[in-house]
Amino acid sequence: MSAIPGGPAARDPAATDPVVEVRDLGVQYDLRFTRRTTMRGWFARLLHRDGSHRRFWALRHVDLRLEHGDSLAVIGPNGAGKSTLLLTLAGIIRPSEGEVAVRGEISALLTLGAGFDQELSGGDNIGLVGAFLGIDGRTMEGLTPAITEYSELGAFIDAPLKTYSTGMRARLGFAIATAVQPDILLLDEVLATGDQVFRARSLVRIRELIREAKAIVLVTHDLEFVTELCNRALLLDHGEVIALGEPAEVVELYRTRTAEQRARQEAEAAVIAAGAQAGGGGAEGAPAGGSGASRA
Amino acid sequence: MATGRTGSRGRGARVAVTGGMLPYAAQMATRTEVRTSLSTHRQAGPLEMVAEGLGELWSRRRLVRYLVGADLRHTSSNTLLGEVWWILDPLLQMAVYTILVTVIFQRSVADYPIFIFSALVPWKWFSTAIEDAIGSVTTRDKLIKQLQFPKIVLPASSVLAATYNFGFGLAAMGIMLVLLYPARISALLVLIPLVAVVQFALTFALALFAAAINVFFRDLRNVSRHALRLWFYLSPVLWSFEAFFPEANRTLRLVETVNPFYPVLSAYRDLVYYGRSPDWGALAAVLAVSVLLGAIGVAFFKRLEPAFAKVL
Repeated sequence: MSAIPGGPAARDPAATDPVVEVRDLGVQYDLRFTRRTTMRGWFARLLHRDGSHRRFWALRHVDLRLEHGDSLAVIGPNGAGKSTLLLTLAGIIRPSEGEVAVRGEISALLTLGAGFDQELSGGDNIGLVGAFLGIDGRTMEGLTPAITEYSELGAFIDAPLKTYSTGMRARLGFAIATAVQPDILLLDEVLATGDQVFRARSLVRIRELIREAKAIVLVTHDLEFVTELCNRALLLDHGEVIALGEPAEVVELYRTRTAEQRARQEAEAAVIAAGAQAGGGGAEGAPAGGSGASRA
Repeated sequence: MATGRTGSRGRGARVAVTGGMLPYAAQMATRTEVRTSLSTHRQAGPLEMVAEGLGELWSRRRLVRYLVGADLRHTSSNTLLGEVWWILDPLLQMAVYTILVTVIFQRSVADYPIFIFSALVPWKWFSTAIEDAIGSVTTRDKLIKQLQFPKIVLPASSVLAATYNFGFGLAAMGIMLVLLYPARISALLVLIPLVAVVQFALTFALALFAAAINVFFRDLRNVSRHALRLWFYLSPVLWSFEAFFPEANRTLRLVETVNPFYPVLSAYRDLVYYGRSPDWGALAAVLAVSVLLGAIGVAFFKRLEPAFAKVL
């Protein structure tokens, strides 16, 4: 695989170890304790005692190896496990099985403005988010002028964050998140924020980061972006790896699958509509879409 | 560099096969270039978890400071008097209880306002700390799913923010002593921080349990309101055996032995109201139990922490 122009720097021959290594990764969610569990619900479920369908795998049997200079795009429909993969790489979610090994400093641009506090000033928020990210105080102080300048907040930097517009908040969030050059960059569709001018500018900064980073994992729905910026692509569906390989091929496969699925849904809808009219009929055996083969 | 053994506090030893990998938390904290790994097989022992949790608090003290600052900003903003409320609030509460006890219940205790106040200020420290800590993790559900950081800083900053408030309460108490009860001022007042240390240990231990349990059972918030209220009445804030029920029977006296706040609040009152030395033995016992409970609390919190992001 040759590095794509505009993509990451050419592979360093000295770095033989993979930068990111994922072996048989599985992430299981336990629905017994999901959002807003109450004691009542918990007891009710304890009585019914049906463990199995209370758990589900958001990701399973994922194997991945990113070498120095790789830039991986993760694509797939909603609920495929793309974000779960990023969260696991970022260390936010622990694997239920398998192993994730990451070599280098990670920076995750998952949500802009994560960690912001409404009552604190912009300047204090720079310190706060830096502290959340674990960047030491002196480094953060050194970065503050650049962040302030990049976010174009002017005098607003001393005003509490609650007085900011959405755009200002996004600019500040982006400036902080990209202030430190990481070894491994995780990106989750943050490109679509802010106004046109800022979007263009942030794209420039992201390209810069991509060029400098040892490895990138990017979750996106923008398929153009995949072929343009990445040298590898991973297609996920229902938590499983459908394909891993050349971006152009994987994107093509994804397009075919999406088209097939849409056709199938339309057919089903038609059957249901016809069934509603005729008062009978059933769904035909839908063709199993896609091959499970991994094209690494 | 594949060796992160120094920062991983023994965890690395368990994954020696993979070359001394650091858990993410430590890696993010130091941001040095190390190999990190997460696997399902690695499970630290309780003592390692305690060491790790305390290490995280120390390495993230700057984050704790910011969180405490933000917390204080939240409680004082949007009110006309702002920080003045921190002094006014306990005073008003004291006034209400004084009216209740001296006017409605017709009990007369010498200098009753300062009698209550000496115990009310520390109790308020405890109750606000616990109430804050209960929601400290759950209210930051979004954040926990967006950033990797040691979650133990959240209940810790709740307790510290409440401690800051306690300082203002003490200031109010000082003003009250100087203006109204100068005769009760004694050198023993300088020992208040010692009692506060004991209370801090106890509060921090309970805050850890409260924060972690509430992630899984949101009912804790409902339960805690009533539990804290009951605990308040069973603690010597409005009363004490000595001043109110010197002939209390043994069953009633059980409150004294079972409730760790009995010796703690009595100690404050001894120092402020009676101007005598408190029962240091009882305080030492509370401290010992609190430290043990705190260690269990840290291990308990660390044990449940990995599940937070999935459950919230």
